[in-house]
Amino acid sequence: MTETFYDVMRRQGITRRSFLKFCSLTAAAMGLSPAYAAKIADAMENKPRIPVLWLHGLECTCCSESFIRSAHPLAKDVILSMISLDYDDTIMAAAGHQAEAIIEETIEKYDGNFILACEGNPGLEQENTGGMSCIIAGKPYTEQLRYAAKHAKAIISWGSCASWGCVQAASPNPTGATPIHKVPDLGNAPIIKVPGCPPIAEVMTAVITYMLTFERLPSLDRQGRPKMFYSQRIHDKCYRRGHFDAGQFVEKWDDEGARKGYCLYKMGCKGPTTYNACSTIRWNGGLSFPIQAGHPCIGCSEDGFWDKGGFYNRLSGINQFGVEENADKVGIGAATVVGGAIAAHAAISALKRSQNKGDQA
Amino acid sequence: MSTKTKNEQSVYVYEVPIRLWHWINALAITVLAITGYLIGSPLSSLSGEAYEHFLMGYIRFAHFAAGYVFVIGFIGRIYWAFVGNSHAKQIFLPPIFSGKFWSEVWHEMKWYLFIAKEPKKYVGHNPMAIIFMHVMLVWGTFFMIFTGLALYGEGAGFDSWQYSWFSSWIIPLFGQSQDVHTFHHLGMWVILIFVMMHVYVAFREDIMSRQTLISTMISGWRTFKDNRKD
Amino acid sequence: MSIIQTPNGYTLDSSGTRHVVDPVTRIEGHMRAEVNINSDNIITNAVSSGTIWRGLEVILKGRDPRDAWAFVQRICGVCTGTHALTSVRSVEDALGINIPENANSIRNIMQLSLQIHDHLVHFYHLHALDWVNPVNALKADPKATSALQQQVSPHHPKSSPGYFRDVQNRLKKFIASGQLGPFKNGYWTNPAYLLPPEADLMAVTHYLEALDFQKEIMKTRTIFGGKDTHPNWTVGGVPCPINMDDTGAVGALNMASLNQVHQIIKDTKTFVDNVYIPDILAIGQFYKGWLYGGGISGSNVLAYGDIPDRANDYSAGNLMMPQGAIINGKLSEVHPINLRDPNEIQEFVPHSWYKYPNGVKGLHPWEGITDPNFDVSSAKGTKHNIEELDEAAKYSWIKAPRWKGHAMEVGPLARYIVGYAQGHEYFTEQINYTLKTLDVPLEALFSTLGRTAARALEAQWAADQQLYFFEKLMKNIKNGDSTTHGGEMWDPNDWPAEAKGVGFSEAPRGALGHWIKIKDQKIENYQCVVPTTWNGSPRDEAGNIGAFEASMMNTKVEVPEEPVEILRNIHSFDPCLACSTH
Ligand code: HEM
Ligand code: HEM
Ligand code: NFV
Ligand code: SF4
Ligand code: SF4
Ligand code: F3S
Ligand SMILES: [Mg+2]
Repeated sequence: MTETFYDVMRRQGITRRSFLKFCSLTAAAMGLSPAYAAKIADAMENKPRIPVLWLHGLECTCCSESFIRSAHPLAKDVILSMISLDYDDTIMAAAGHQAEAIIEETIEKYDGNFILACEGNPGLEQENTGGMSCIIAGKPYTEQLRYAAKHAKAIISWGSCASWGCVQAASPNPTGATPIHKVPDLGNAPIIKVPGCPPIAEVMTAVITYMLTFERLPSLDRQGRPKMFYSQRIHDKCYRRGHFDAGQFVEKWDDEGARKGYCLYKMGCKGPTTYNACSTIRWNGGLSFPIQAGHPCIGCSEDGFWDKGGFYNRLSGINQFGVEENADKVGIGAATVVGGAIAAHAAISALKRSQNKGDQA
Repeated sequence: MSTKTKNEQSVYVYEVPIRLWHWINALAITVLAITGYLIGSPLSSLSGEAYEHFLMGYIRFAHFAAGYVFVIGFIGRIYWAFVGNSHAKQIFLPPIFSGKFWSEVWHEMKWYLFIAKEPKKYVGHNPMAIIFMHVMLVWGTFFMIFTGLALYGEGAGFDSWQYSWFSSWIIPLFGQSQDVHTFHHLGMWVILIFVMMHVYVAFREDIMSRQTLISTMISGWRTFKDNRKD
Repeated sequence: MSIIQTPNGYTLDSSGTRHVVDPVTRIEGHMRAEVNINSDNIITNAVSSGTIWRGLEVILKGRDPRDAWAFVQRICGVCTGTHALTSVRSVEDALGINIPENANSIRNIMQLSLQIHDHLVHFYHLHALDWVNPVNALKADPKATSALQQQVSPHHPKSSPGYFRDVQNRLKKFIASGQLGPFKNGYWTNPAYLLPPEADLMAVTHYLEALDFQKEIMKTRTIFGGKDTHPNWTVGGVPCPINMDDTGAVGALNMASLNQVHQIIKDTKTFVDNVYIPDILAIGQFYKGWLYGGGISGSNVLAYGDIPDRANDYSAGNLMMPQGAIINGKLSEVHPINLRDPNEIQEFVPHSWYKYPNGVKGLHPWEGITDPNFDVSSAKGTKHNIEELDEAAKYSWIKAPRWKGHAMEVGPLARYIVGYAQGHEYFTEQINYTLKTLDVPLEALFSTLGRTAARALEAQWAADQQLYFFEKLMKNIKNGDSTTHGGEMWDPNDWPAEAKGVGFSEAPRGALGHWIKIKDQKIENYQCVVPTTWNGSPRDEAGNIGAFEASMMNTKVEVPEEPVEILRNIHSFDPCLACSTH
């Protein structure tokens, strides 16, 4: 079995007596009643740090980059003290078969008891047609993913890639990039989506610490996102909302309105349709977020945000109706046709009517 | 009450609630379309401080207020379809399994294509109107109400009834919020196109058909211009 | 198996035992390396394969050129932003758009932040474990470590014995837990590790310090671009306006946010000077006998140049990072380069999983084609379980770019060699100082260690240039110019029916170019030739091997089952596979 904190302390020569004393001191330090000492002792005796396997598929690795930007808690503390990041090909020391062996070992020791963190997604198109677009140890990434997923306690889908498909799934999706929850034959582990391209660092670490602290999954919305961070739109808490309501908009880059921090709606801001915590938690330790730096939100935590027409258009594109249309262009086009038809019809009707009158006379 | 002269007979067709609904609805749609369009493409910016203005806020408020009038009116209209006279059901239940109905549709079509010389007489709506109203207006209204309330729920928040009854399933159904906006916006054009055709036809038929139309929607009485059968 | 002589001077002998490293870890993305090792434990044949492909060039077709930056930025989140910058430059080039002076300064600060961040994180978190043994650090005497620290970097405040003892204790606790996390299954008993425990402890401590500090470096980009990673950019300037005096300045750059930028820049410089550079010199001291991995750096290097001093002038003279090519190791002759010339830069695919129309050999990127064609029929194994690649056939998702037919190395070392050859004052001084401190000849530069050192030197240079551009920005604002976007040609209706352009930059890993063709307001063709495409390229038509493969050649491997040396060589390029194939 795995070593627990208690095992470690014992091995370092600490007696059971002083271990228990340590537990009651900890309880006191946390302001808990002495009864909690037993619970802490129990946890330390029986609970190793939860192993995390962080797999990488088709992606840009920005989610990992974002993760290490976390200020509270520091990425260092998450990795050293909270979880046991046993597999993450981006930072792990081992390579090749020594690396791959870890997945096997983890499943052996912690079957059903580790977290699978997925960054990126698999490309099923190539695999279905006999190719591979994401190869790990000579095999399709999907194989590694399925194997680990079937034994995981829970799956975290980091970022828009794992949650929705993201840029590689943008039309025409040449690799058949498929978000984690849509990969067939993945087992039954619950999936927590943490979308964003990338997600906010502190949101990522908060999701992990929530799970460790409360020993349960965060409560999720219908689409599998933690409600605590994804139940409101950027627009709902945007500090420029006053200008939106007032009807004060940036009309073009670097204009008077831009300098005064007017609303970016007319520049194509997707804040009104984007569920994310940017306008509340903000980025990089609460420093700023896209709108604060003058750029409209591009909706990076939303499903398929790449294919909704240009980023600088308020109205989305409707590709079904031709190359580049939006609702108004389609509507005005149709209304013009109908209006023309009506006019023509009215003219003919009038003509007929006068003819008929002539007939009757 | 009716004054039945030789070639002028009148029937009471549209009861008060129907007429009331019709005109309130027409007004609500007008407000919704204008404000809706301005939500999608706002007016030019106002200068000065934000607290001095609430233009976008008022436009949205008008949209939501008209939206609720539209919703409540429609609920009332559905209720009246149950309790009102037979004409009150027409736009909800086109008799699509009746051969006669379709042959009348065919006749109306010929009339509009200037093939038939004369339209038929109808006490209620003509069959083509029923089809159009059913598809574009009844379903269009359902669509606008559902998508509209789904959008409204987003602002009202996770705990609102609008969110749990509408947004929670409609947004995933469309994909994401922006798609709901797009289709709600497209829905506007469907309804506007209906209105264009409807108003044109109302005037045209008022002049060219064998019965009154516009005054009917005002007074409730349908007056026929001749007393030939059919 | 036969012996092959490559045109670029390597003897490939695949008779020894084949060793496969897949996945190559501590890189961005997915990569596979295969080598043949002879009975003297020398690598005699090396194969590197990019094992990820997403098809961004296909996805970009038909889209709005003004949106392209956001797509290509997602080519990579590690060199986040450099593709976006290159993209807006390509569109500006195609449409003849000028950007304001302030936008140029801001973009440069953002790009330099990336250089520093990327180099620092690469060294400490991706590369260090090839040289540093964390398990060995447990044996260190914290007092001696403190003395070492004070000796190599007298100004770094975190140097007390107690500090190192704390870190060591934390490390002990961590290792004693039996849950080794990222250090699991490392090669900690391999004789290739040469540092004494004190140096190991110092380096591990800085692994943690750097992990904490790196997030500060990028905050400049959060202020200018709204978030990091993946900040926002725009064609024609930068999205953030400047408002120093008027109301509503919270929506724009103001004195407070600029002060913060200033502070971050100063702190960054301090960290690079006090931690990164001294560590490189200290570690270099112990490994200076290990001079493998030079590969083609001693013969063919290429740099596009970057960091325009004045806005809108991308000619070599105005670029603060050097531009030029060196062929056959002739430092006395730096060739000018032309990214528009159809005969200079071309991409080949005979060994890449793509197909060109019949008869087409190499393509200049404006005419480039990305048409996937995965094929492992001649490899050992099955099509979904490759045991050994066949390097005589197609074997990588990376295309093979060539400059006038030559395989080229790009990156910090290439930039430093070109700069050195051109007499770039700052670079030359740094190089001479480093060589003198380590007491090694110039030739030592052409090695894995040289590559790693050049990266650190460049971080130091970049930290100074950030300050230069910050001051320039403030001076320009003081002179009354607070424009950040010119608005030129923003409306696609003003564009010509057809246009083409090229944007280039020096990404952390080397020369990066984006070639765009615009037709009827839409992208007709978009091709990226990326640093790791150059370095990680498979063989070409003529049989030249690329920089990765060359760097592995002739390296001695202590324990063939433990690929530390392979990782060292490969890591020294800081490979980014998502970039390389895009
Ligand atoms: C937004 C605008 C309007 C909408 C959505 C609308 C919708 C409708 C609907 C749904 C009906 C069927 C009523 C029922 O059976 O419950 C109807 C009937 C009618 N509407 Fe409108 N209407 C609009 C505007 C107008 C206007 C402006 C006029 C007159 C100029 C008009 C004239 C009539 C007439 C004459 C009828 C009765 C038609 C018949 O008896 O066949 N409507 N309208
Ligand atoms: C005939 C009926 C309606 C029409 C023509 C209409 C039209 C529109 C249009 C064009 C938009 C702008 C969409 C966009 O481009 O983002 C809009 C937005 C909206 N509509 Fe409607 N709408 C109708 C009914 C309703 C109803 C019944 C409701 C429910 C209360 C509603 C609620 C909303 C909301 C909440 C928005 C979004 C406002 C915002 O984003 O600020 N609409 N509508
Ligand atoms: N190769 C590469 Fe990049 C860089 N540096 C980009 O152009 O890493 Ni992701
Ligand atoms: S979600 Fe976005 S940031 Fe994260 S890996 Fe995918 S492309 Fe990169
Ligand atoms: S800037 Fe965007 S999110 Fe903020 S108020 Fe305006 S539209 Fe909403
Ligand atoms: S673009 Fe993404 S980072 Fe936030 S403000 Fe919009 S969701
Ligand atoms: Mg390319």
